[in-house]
Amino acid sequence: MKKILRILSLLTVLIIILYWTVPSKSDISPIEKIKKRGYLLWGSDAEGGAPYVFPDPKNPSKLIGFEVDLANAIARELGVEARQSQNAWDSLLPALKRGDFDIAMNGIEITAQREAEVLFSMPYYIYTEQLVVRKNDTQIKNINDLKGKKVGTLSGAVAQDILMKIGGVDVKVYSGQVEPYEDLAIGRLDAVLLDLPIAAYYAKPNPKLKYTGHPVGEGFYGIAIKKENKEFKNKIDEIFIKLLKSGELKKIYKKWDMWDKTQENLFQQIKTSEGFVSLQESKKAPLYTFFPNLLKGAGITILISVSSMALAITLGLILTVLRIYGRTPLSSVAAAYIEIYRGTPLLIQLYILYYGLPNIGISLNPLTAAFIGLGMNYAAYESELYRAGINAVPKGQMEAALSLGMSQSLAVKRIIMPQAIRIAFPGITNDFIALFKDSSLVSVIAMVELTKTYSILAATTLRFFELGLIVAFLYFAMSYPLSLLARRLEEKLMGHKR
Amino acid sequence: MIKVKNLHKYYGEVHLFKGINFDIERGEVIVFIGPSGSGKSTFLRCINGLEYFQEGEIAVNNIGLHSINRLRPSKEDMETIRKIRLRVGVVFQQFNLFPHMTVLENIIEAPTRVLNIDSDKAVEDALSLLKRINIEKKAQSYPDELSGGEQQRVAIARALAMKPEAMLFDEPTSSLDPEMVGEVLAVIKNLVSEGMTTLIATHEMDFAREIADKVVVFDHGDIVEVGAPEDIFTNPKKERTKIFLNRILKR
Ligand SMILES: Nc1ncnc2c1ncn2[C@@H]1O[C@H](COP(=O)(O)OP(=O)(O)OP(=O)(O)O)[C@@H](O)[C@H]1O
Ligand SMILES: [Mg+2]
Repeated sequence: MKKILRILSLLTVLIIILYWTVPSKSDISPIEKIKKRGYLLWGSDAEGGAPYVFPDPKNPSKLIGFEVDLANAIARELGVEARQSQNAWDSLLPALKRGDFDIAMNGIEITAQREAEVLFSMPYYIYTEQLVVRKNDTQIKNINDLKGKKVGTLSGAVAQDILMKIGGVDVKVYSGQVEPYEDLAIGRLDAVLLDLPIAAYYAKPNPKLKYTGHPVGEGFYGIAIKKENKEFKNKIDEIFIKLLKSGELKKIYKKWDMWDKTQENLFQQIKTSEGFVSLQESKKAPLYTFFPNLLKGAGITILISVSSMALAITLGLILTVLRIYGRTPLSSVAAAYIEIYRGTPLLIQLYILYYGLPNIGISLNPLTAAFIGLGMNYAAYESELYRAGINAVPKGQMEAALSLGMSQSLAVKRIIMPQAIRIAFPGITNDFIALFKDSSLVSVIAMVELTKTYSILAATTLRFFELGLIVAFLYFAMSYPLSLLARRLEEKLMGHKR
Repeated sequence: MIKVKNLHKYYGEVHLFKGINFDIERGEVIVFIGPSGSGKSTFLRCINGLEYFQEGEIAVNNIGLHSINRLRPSKEDMETIRKIRLRVGVVFQQFNLFPHMTVLENIIEAPTRVLNIDSDKAVEDALSLLKRINIEKKAQSYPDELSGGEQQRVAIARALAMKPEAMLFDEPTSSLDPEMVGEVLAVIKNLVSEGMTTLIATHEMDFAREIADKVVVFDHGDIVEVGAPEDIFTNPKKERTKIFLNRILKR
């Protein structure tokens, strides 16, 4: 009875946590909502990097980029502040649709396909695709020379379509914009075709690479807005026209070295400005400038691992008891839970939890989704460890307990579980360390923990090596004391039995 | 005190007990003998509900336990079984002490948690029980620090701490080294002399002869013969008893 009460109270707590994190839905217009809230929430991926949105190398906790400037200008016109919401680029539109932020602005090309899903503001930038090759390359002059060559580009970018249409090109698709240029420089690729702003930031300063041919293709970046917010889209367009007329837009592009003739089609006036941060500069920033960000990431990693392990241990125990000692419907439910969670990838479970549940009206914030996702997944594994432990306890122990007049639940609690847990303990501590490292998977649901912090910083500064060593050391510095502690506890537990 | 009526027990397809009737009076000492696999353990285990049976009735002190045909007994059946277990102590061949608890904790566990006896009182009772079986010095030891004989004596003390009205012993000395059998049998004898209703399944024929009020001979799930020890051992009436005794006494 006590056990049931405890389970019930645990469930209640879980439900409360869930409700807490479900944002309340309302019918007031988006503009009013933003004004009431006091800030404009815009979604983008800082890992995508410069010059769009990226951490300031001089002060990595601050984001900079031309889109940051744009967002600030738009917010100012709305009479509020701008706040960035970190999200993987691939899932910006799904996240926008589920209402995670008010607008998505991150070099999103306006395509017919995307227009079927969301509204776009009027274009804020005309991009072209720039072909980049190694400095000593003399063969490739323009995109017509690409047949049979290995050419890198970004997954889902318009450049990918262009390459596919040429035919006969060995297209290598990347998920980040840094790696294609790295691979080109060391000879893994023959050329890279990407949006001009990207090439301007990453390829132009690289002494091993050069532009070749004229920019090809032409397309527009637009701000994505939820389909039903027509009125909001009009407001954004209004603001754009104003920024355009006042010359502020052009000033921003000038500052980021993104101004070219093509943009004349959108704007008329030309003025200059300063404040452009070059790749060269961010490469030289002293390492300690990154520590605050990395430590914050490490803190989040610890928070997620410890809380979800606690959930896994408790939920696993409940599942085991239900599975082994519960009556039919409950024990089958527990068994099914365990098999399903062990039989499907954690990544899919996280996606369903974070991007899938909003379809049925449950929207979790990233931290809650990470906690529940990891915890529920590991609960299935912990449960199997407990079960193995219980099976290893001799049958006579239960019989002895029962014959002393104990109820089955008292016998499980006092006699069987303490022995089973001793047997399962080494496996559980092992799982904790595994979970600790698996916690990096939650970056797919917009959780910026240690690994994600690393990839964002490394993508901006290209300092994969030094930062990588620091991050690896941080992980080790956290997991090693953990395994020492686990061993100490294990010895203590075993000592009691021997 | 214990009444067994028309007991039928199946292990799957195997029909082991085909309607056993047997009554035990308060204070009686019954010893069960018979070949291996004849059903002695199963009979004892049916009495305290460690095995379910499919037909018949067992009553302990007028608490009736009915046949259980389902895979799992209902809640009410479980409670009845538990009430019976509170009156009947069991000592197993394998001792089955709780390895994660000290000797003292083993003994006070059930009194404090099931009978809600105050723990000071439970400890006091436990120590006096340990004194009776001569191992009060080992109160703080863990079971695996004890010899087999000591462990079995602690197991007896643990069962007695619940103040049962009857005790079931299922081959209490079978997994002991020969030199330790005596000390365990001495404790049982002592218990019997205090008037405890006692049921013992054993292969120790000398002990059976010495202690039993009645000897029950099992074979293939049937009770072949019941009688005073002298009659059974010197003048058995049934052929199956003779065959069994011949085989076992020759060894
Ligand atoms: N859990 C079980 N499942 C199936 N058959 C069983 C089970 N337990 C006992 N049996 C069978 O029931 C019969 C009686 O077994 P039981 O253990 O009661 O005999 P026993 O007289 O105690 O023998 P022993 O002297 O070897 O202890 C045997 O044929 C045995 O194989
Ligand atoms: Mg037996």
